[in-house]
Amino acid sequence: MSKAFTLWGALTLMLILSVISAITFGPADIKSSELITCLISSCQSQVTNVVIWQVRIPRVLVALVAGMGLAIAGAILQNTTRNPLADPYLFGIVSGAGLGATIANISLADNLSIALPLAAFLGALFSVIIVVFIAKVLQRMEQLLLAGVAVSFMLAAVTQFILYFGEPFATNRVIFWLMGSLARVEMSNFYVIASILLIAIFTVIAFHRQIDALLLGDESAASLGVDVDKLRLLMLGICAALTATIVAYCGGIGFVGLMIPHIVRQLIGVTTLKLIIGSALIGAIFLIWVDVIARSSLPHAEIPIGIITSALGSIFFLFIMYRSRAMN
Amino acid sequence: MSALLKISQLSWQVQTKAILKDINFTVNKGEVLGIIGPNGAGKTSLLRCLTNQANMLNQTNVSGSVQLKNTHLTQYSAKELAQHFALVMQKNDSIFALSVLDVMKMGLLPHKSLFSIDSDHDRAQIALALEKVGLIHLVNTAFNLLSGGEQQRVLIARALVQASQILVLDEPTNHLDVYYQHQVLQLVNKLNITVIMTVHDLNLASLYCQRLLLLNKGELILDGTPKAVLNSETLSQVFGLPCQQSTDEITGATQVSFYLKDSHQQGSQSLESDNE
Repeated sequence: MSKAFTLWGALTLMLILSVISAITFGPADIKSSELITCLISSCQSQVTNVVIWQVRIPRVLVALVAGMGLAIAGAILQNTTRNPLADPYLFGIVSGAGLGATIANISLADNLSIALPLAAFLGALFSVIIVVFIAKVLQRMEQLLLAGVAVSFMLAAVTQFILYFGEPFATNRVIFWLMGSLARVEMSNFYVIASILLIAIFTVIAFHRQIDALLLGDESAASLGVDVDKLRLLMLGICAALTATIVAYCGGIGFVGLMIPHIVRQLIGVTTLKLIIGSALIGAIFLIWVDVIARSSLPHAEIPIGIITSALGSIFFLFIMYRSRAMN
Repeated sequence: MSALLKISQLSWQVQTKAILKDINFTVNKGEVLGIIGPNGAGKTSLLRCLTNQANMLNQTNVSGSVQLKNTHLTQYSAKELAQHFALVMQKNDSIFALSVLDVMKMGLLPHKSLFSIDSDHDRAQIALALEKVGLIHLVNTAFNLLSGGEQQRVLIARALVQASQILVLDEPTNHLDVYYQHQVLQLVNKLNITVIMTVHDLNLASLYCQRLLLLNKGELILDGTPKAVLNSETLSQVFGLPCQQSTDEITGATQVSFYLKDSHQQGSQSLESDNE
């Protein structure tokens, strides 16, 4: 009991420290002492005040909720489909969002700050509806992921077709958006993502026993009184909404949902409650620091965050494959 | 004894094939009932229907009724059903490293509301059940690392935590070696709750069940004590092999042996009934 308490305490502390120290990183030099003065009373310089409250804090907080959200979505999908490779991205959510963003970029030149996230969200939702519809028709859980992959490729093909014939400037914008970035986020984005995240966490905690029961097979879960189809649909819906919102504001940030739950399973446990809370904490810490790398490793430019997560993710993925091979 | 479960005119037709044909029987409280029969006789299908899994009884190609305590099974919610029936099915493996404790906690589900956490009482129940099946020392072990017999016993312990009145097992001795076959069935036999199970091995069924149902091609052929059901004439028709009934000298239980026609003439090799 006390061991678990220490672990959760350490992770929470790490998250808080990550948030505070991540605010000090960036092109403008802000010292920790300056930051603390700013947070407690008021800033000495007006510039620092603006940088901290309007640039750094929104950005770190969005990284926090986006990391939490993507990791939780992956964890939920993996447990409800009993597939360790399930990831929000494999359900076509990002390709759908990409298609939405492409259409918004090509057709609506003005007011993109609202239209782009909205179109991305609608596109993501559209892809999930298709995937669920296909899975319903096939009635096979194993094929849900395959259906997702197929839909993902289909939507990506349409996107690329439009981009190929589109105006170069708009095409550039979409391609950069797909790489993922937290450079343009605002405080309002944080509120939207955070509220959906809270709903998701609340629902998962409510149903954690049901989701756990799925881990030993649908038949076993059904015999314990779980409505397997409804539960899975509800969880898929929550993951879709969560991922779609995050992707709409931050673009494509891959592999977080896949690898964070894997780390948590090794460190903390496989049952839903532990997995979700662990994924939330570690996912948040991870994305906060990846964003720090993204914005401070090159002197005059940013690296798109999706590139870093994908690079780290694929290496990690190969590492898992190697480990499971060694274990067998 | 009072009738706990009453099955009336139960039939299940898939296209032209009758999976179950006009099945009628009752299950009394506290009984250990074994369902026997060849592969494809409808044993598992019968279990599915009488626990109303996947809402079987509401499907258009299923007719007849199953009543639990004089109320139709279809009137019970999924949660209520889980409070009455505890199922131990054949396939139970997880790709994730669940511990024995994690598996045991699943048994609490039918008695828990949303958001609930485990109480001290729950933990005591889990410990008690594991104690009963003799696996308390494995509580933190990974479920996947247990032997087949240990997994079965954990699932039986889970069923005890579920505190249902009827324990339903589908081939509990499948893939177990002789020692574990006896161990698991003896455990089931001594739980003092109503048990309904399909059993492949006729001699094990005879030894550990008070009553047997013999199914063949979806029909209920015989219903009675092991001695009555393990009738050599009927069995040789159903299984297509010459059969001989005997009484075991040590246990006093009715036993059957099957012979292939050739080997019977030579009078030497016998085929045990547990061969697939």
